[in-house]
Amino acid sequence: MSRKTMLRLGGALISVLTVGGVIVMLLPYFWMVSSSIKTGIEVFDLPIKWIPDEIQWVNYPNALTKGAFGVYFYNSFVVAFAVMAGNLVFCTLAGYGLAKFRFPHRELCFRLILSTLMLPLEIVLVPTFLVVRELGLVNTYGGLIAPLAVDAFGVFLMRQSIRDIPDSLIEAARMDGCSEFGIFWRIILPNCKPALGALALLAFRDNWDQFLWPFIVATTDDLKTFPLGLAQMEGIDSAAYHEIMALAVLGMIPAAFIFLFFQRAFVRGITLTGLKE
Amino acid sequence: MDREIGVGRTSPSMVRRSASLLWRWGAGGGKSSLHSHLRWAGFFFVLPALIHLVIFKFYPMLQAFRLSFFRYDLMSPPVFTGLENYKLLWENPLFHQSFWVSVKYMFGVSIPEWFFALGLALLLNRRMPGRAVIRLAYFFPIAMSQIVVAMVWKFMYHPFGLVNTILETFGIGRINWLSMEESALPALIAIGIWRGIPLFGVIYLAGLQAIPKEYHEAAVIDGAGVFQRFFYVTIPLLLPTIMFVMVLSLLSAVKVFLNPLVMTEGGPNGTTRVLPYFIYETGFAFFRMGEAAAASMVLFVFLFGLTLIQLRLLRRGGVE
Repeated sequence: MSRKTMLRLGGALISVLTVGGVIVMLLPYFWMVSSSIKTGIEVFDLPIKWIPDEIQWVNYPNALTKGAFGVYFYNSFVVAFAVMAGNLVFCTLAGYGLAKFRFPHRELCFRLILSTLMLPLEIVLVPTFLVVRELGLVNTYGGLIAPLAVDAFGVFLMRQSIRDIPDSLIEAARMDGCSEFGIFWRIILPNCKPALGALALLAFRDNWDQFLWPFIVATTDDLKTFPLGLAQMEGIDSAAYHEIMALAVLGMIPAAFIFLFFQRAFVRGITLTGLKE
Repeated sequence: MDREIGVGRTSPSMVRRSASLLWRWGAGGGKSSLHSHLRWAGFFFVLPALIHLVIFKFYPMLQAFRLSFFRYDLMSPPVFTGLENYKLLWENPLFHQSFWVSVKYMFGVSIPEWFFALGLALLLNRRMPGRAVIRLAYFFPIAMSQIVVAMVWKFMYHPFGLVNTILETFGIGRINWLSMEESALPALIAIGIWRGIPLFGVIYLAGLQAIPKEYHEAAVIDGAGVFQRFFYVTIPLLLPTIMFVMVLSLLSAVKVFLNPLVMTEGGPNGTTRVLPYFIYETGFAFFRMGEAAAASMVLFVFLFGLTLIQLRLLRRGGVE
């Protein structure tokens, strides 16, 4: 075989791999959307019809009545936005402090914060619940939000990107008599917009998705979030796959929307973590 | 030193001086510098986050440690029982099972992820028509919710679901994946891998893009082939990223909870009862908080050891 045909064969193989990979990655989602517009019987029809003869839009309103989904969606948005806000404020402040100031035990502070990455909720589940119970926050929005409001990962992300802002910029503002908070507000924030965007997106996605903590702390229906509502509905009516898939499609929309519109910031957020050290 | 003190408005230099005095007092002397007041400012910026983490991470961690020596059911007051909880765990075959399920899941998911994700990144780093669209297609699943993934895959694994339909065309009979002891854990592992590849692919891709082109060009001039360039240029320069991906994938795999909960409820026969599920069940279904805390400590020591090993590897990797 000549070198040229080998190269061509290799190229073809890579194309096949690429396309095959895309199919493997996306097929479950196509199946989800397709099943959400079929009748409960059609979802198991063989051979598979990806687009049914008659599209069952009615699955969507029907599915939404299988639980207080308006409330669940609302709660998910509240939790996701509140946790996002908390992370934006606290992680950015801390990231600034760690990136641009020298103070005693700064490295210790940074390490302590990073070390909490080793204490995920799964490990401190029982005592965190007890703390929240002591604070009287079980089954409240506060209880849902507070333990998630600062994430060490966010601090790390902000520290990394604020470090890249030139010191001369800050010094110049300081010479002009700008207050420390003024520097933060007028120099630091505008200069780390990409990282802020990334942090906001990741925080929103993770907490829109939050399952374990609401599962423990939200005991009544009016505080349950969408993931809990969907799991609960599935537990009651596990055969209604067409409707479960309709709800899954609805639950996918916010994340998909964010991804499609802020794809670059999203990918940047993921890659900003730990590659610059 | 004579200076005017502004009325109503403090000048920055004044704040600076007084803060610097305060600092010197606090630190017991030391060199005064123009910006020493910034020491305090910096600390105050960090303080809110630190307080939060103390309340919701460090204090609970200490509590977990303390609680692991008590018997506590949330109703009656805790009773000190010494090492009883650890003894109970040690004698509990379900805990042993759970531990090994977690180990299997963790490595079963992580190791394939390392390779597939690197493969994906190499693929996406090439020049090809429609690269932007292809990248979008691969990265899209990263944004998906865990619960959506769990629901879709529960349906996929249904005896008449898509997985079996596809396998049937290859002549493999229909399997009830999630309710058989041999297949439930592998089925969950497959989801974990499928879910992790794009995420770690993105991280690898960023690592690849950070490698200066000059290195590859120099290697080409020296007559290095594709494989030589991969093993002698790409891999060594990508090592920090590789280590990072290894740590992150293990840590995220060991935390899996949602899928075993909603897809298999830890079954059949506990074959998918990972440690977080065990902890949840012991604490919040059986109300044995002390025992759950003891199990948390075991999980913590496990994670801690793992992280130390990884850091050691990372350091050695950095030296060579």
